[in-house]
Amino acid sequence: MRWLRHPIVYWVVSIGLGAVFIYASLDKIAHPLDFARIVYRYQLAGPSATLGVVPANVLAVVLPWVEIVTGILLVTGLWRREAALVAGGMLVMFLVAVGYVLWQGIDVAHCGCFTVGGEGRSAGWTLIAGDLGLLAAALYVANVRPRTAASVSAAEPVAAV
Amino acid sequence: MRIRRIVLILLAATGLGLAGNALSGQGVALTRNAYVREGDEEITAKEARDRLDKGALFLDARPVAFYEMSHIPGALPLPEDDFDRGFAKIEPRLRSSFDIVVYCSGFGCEASHLVARKLKERGIPAVVLSEGWPAWTEAGYPTKEGAQP
Repeated sequence: MRWLRHPIVYWVVSIGLGAVFIYASLDKIAHPLDFARIVYRYQLAGPSATLGVVPANVLAVVLPWVEIVTGILLVTGLWRREAALVAGGMLVMFLVAVGYVLWQGIDVAHCGCFTVGGEGRSAGWTLIAGDLGLLAAALYVANVRPRTAASVSAAEPVAAV
Repeated sequence: MRIRRIVLILLAATGLGLAGNALSGQGVALTRNAYVREGDEEITAKEARDRLDKGALFLDARPVAFYEMSHIPGALPLPEDDFDRGFAKIEPRLRSSFDIVVYCSGFGCEASHLVARKLKERGIPAVVLSEGWPAWTEAGYPTKEGAQP
């Protein structure tokens, strides 16, 4: 599994993961009300008389910004490991949400993953599989230390001319 | 170090989100149910109970299977997913009712708001029971099982 520590593999996975998070945030930031309605359908963050705000609305407003900030950090490489841990935390949260609606038999026809309008993916097993793949990528970026460029060139001898 | 950076990322994103929502001009009202639109009227379970006692007509916007499991006594089924057929069946009753309350499964369910709007489009005013069925049952108000109102 040496190739997993190759800097180019690490770089591609980081930027790919960051791009997914940036793309996922854009439509939600542009249409917060539509995203709030989708968050309601998961029935996880209900109304609260004591808080004075609707927690699902706050989640709908904040979550896309966590996604875009995380995505930008993953793409640029600034605080990359920490951003990957935040991405992993969000993916665990998404997995819990999708697992909950499947367990409860709640029909969420539009998962709100990448878009908030039109036809979307339903919250189901394929979504869980996709999120698990992204979670693996986030854990990889957070925990694997890529080899340095010098150690890569030392390990790969130059072909004889 | 890692934890501090993670907290900073979350704080920065939260600040950006709340500021963006406040300044964008198309933000979400944080204190109001996002299903409620201009022109919608919601009432509490207590007020709904009072209206039931005074003879208001209740409409159950959930799928019929839920209605048959349990519903508000006297309520008629008008599922949002089969609105046109249900409406045709009970239209005379709807047009002769002055006080109509629509409910569905509560938080996460938009059906009651959609049904109330469809009724309004047809010239029939209706209000929505805020937080729907859970608000009614949690208040300990009466329920009825079966297909009959």
